[in-house]
Amino acid sequence: MKGLKLGQFVRGNSIIHQLDPRTKIIVCLVVIFSILINYKWYVILLNMSLIAAVIILSRIEPAKILRSLRKLRYLFLLTFIFQSILTSGEPLFHVGSVYVTREGVSLGVSTIFRLMILYLCSTLLTMTTSPLKLASGIESLFAPLRRLRIPVHQFSMLISAALRFIPTIIEEAQILTRAQRSRGAQFNSPSVIVRIKSMAAVLIPLLAASLQRADDLAAAMESRCYTGGSNQIRISKLRFGKKDKLALGLVSLVFLVFVFCI
Amino acid sequence: MPVIEVKDLSYTYCPGAPYEKKALDGVTLSVKRGEFMGIVGANGSGKSTLIQHFNGLLCPDGGKVIICGQDTSVKQRRDELWKKVGLVFQYPEQQLFEATVFEDVSYGPRNLGLGPREIRIRTEDALKKVGLEPESIADLPPICLSGGLRRRVAIAGVLAMQPEVLVLDEPTAGLDPLGRDMILNLIKKLQQEDRTTIVMVSHSLRELLTLADRIAVLENGKLVATGSPKEVLHQKDFLALPGIIMPDYLQLIHALAGRGKKVNTGISAMAEAELEIDRLLKEICGK
Ligand SMILES: Nc1ncnc2c1ncn2[C@@H]1O[C@H](COP(=O)(O)OP(=O)(O)OP(=O)(O)O)[C@@H](O)[C@H]1O
Ligand SMILES: [Mg+2]
Repeated sequence: MKGLKLGQFVRGNSIIHQLDPRTKIIVCLVVIFSILINYKWYVILLNMSLIAAVIILSRIEPAKILRSLRKLRYLFLLTFIFQSILTSGEPLFHVGSVYVTREGVSLGVSTIFRLMILYLCSTLLTMTTSPLKLASGIESLFAPLRRLRIPVHQFSMLISAALRFIPTIIEEAQILTRAQRSRGAQFNSPSVIVRIKSMAAVLIPLLAASLQRADDLAAAMESRCYTGGSNQIRISKLRFGKKDKLALGLVSLVFLVFVFCI
Repeated sequence: MPVIEVKDLSYTYCPGAPYEKKALDGVTLSVKRGEFMGIVGANGSGKSTLIQHFNGLLCPDGGKVIICGQDTSVKQRRDELWKKVGLVFQYPEQQLFEATVFEDVSYGPRNLGLGPREIRIRTEDALKKVGLEPESIADLPPICLSGGLRRRVAIAGVLAMQPEVLVLDEPTAGLDPLGRDMILNLIKKLQQEDRTTIVMVSHSLRELLTLADRIAVLENGKLVATGSPKEVLHQKDFLALPGIIMPDYLQLIHALAGRGKKVNTGISAMAEAELEIDRLLKEICGK
């Protein structure tokens, strides 16, 4: 795979990178909720400007993010087409018996923006937060659930292990694909059966290697006395500082006003 | 006419990303039919990237790669190249996936669209070539073999396609001395008896000095030397190159020369070094 891996963490020390992961997760949730419950144009505008501000502050190249949006262009296109022809309302024009309505077009446009916001805010979260911090942020936010006997620590461990191994597995899949291709596997053959068989030639060894790795990882962790309990300390404790309070306060206030009051 | 012709080849991973990496930079080299070409270089010098251009897995970013007279910048030709150029990947034992050794080795021939008889002949032939008994091993699942045996099975999987050119990426990495010698002998035999053109990547200069007709040295994506083992040793001062270790006997010869002893530093093989040292010893004792 050439190019940037989707939403991969990019090291940096901008103000966005320095924020507490919990702040970023909460803001992300706020954005997602606001866009789900209210999709008037000013909420979309507010979200887009917030995202633009985050992109500028985090010093990630905007061109790169725009390029990753291009992968979603068919999704956007399909959404737009379906929204504009399936929504009833004042017809703009028609092709045969298919009517395109004014309401449909405006709903289509706003849906595209909402999808874009959903995608961008989660991408920005994972691009500016290291997997380790993300996991400890999630763990800390869900800590109250421990009272309900939900194994929060184990879940966060699972998430961070999964995040950690995504790039490794992608790389391995790439090598296996090439190896099988040079033995004649056809990944773009017109026949579906041939394609499925070729995929199996990649997936089987990939799965075997992943299981093997999971086994090794478990052994390595146990040999360093990991017992899965929550009686351990993280090396870098999360700090909810002044910056975080400020950022969170500001964002919540603006969103409350916009989403509920106007 | 050369089988492999590389002209001014450049390749960049992740162009435009912060991890952008120019893995190959202006590499020019050619491999003649029936020749044994060795490629050495430190970790990350671009060896694997270079050889993946030889069977059309990668498309040149700049320059040209011509295999058997075909330019690989055309996608359709790249897709057909696997039939002519067999590529054994680094750690090929990880790609075994069928339920039995026989099925795995015959995967390539089956993709070539051969008849069942031909497939059986080629598979058994390939297994014999890598020193395995088809009768005893063909029906075993690959998982229950040791790492070294699995490596041989994987190599057999490529041999069974009977490629004109065989490209191997560090085929001996992680093997014990016996397994290493077995693989190296096999490769040499393929070149001498079957007239297969061989390209072998290794970071052991010693292996290549004894086997290869010609050696190419990569450093940071650039070709720093090519030629016969002797020429290469002359062209470049390897003692200064990071990541490439001279065989011990050559280190000895160079150290002796460094102390002002009269030895011929233009040698490449172990036997020659032996003669040189023998001569030197006689000279000293003679005094
Ligand atoms: N899929 C990839 N994506 C990004 N960069 C890569 C990729 N594969 C290789 N590289 C980079 O390209 C450079 C050359 O890699 P290559 O694998 O060709 O080296 P090599 O000589 O085979 O090394 P080794 O001896 O470790 O196998 C390295 O710096 C590596 O980090
Ligand atoms: Mg390599």
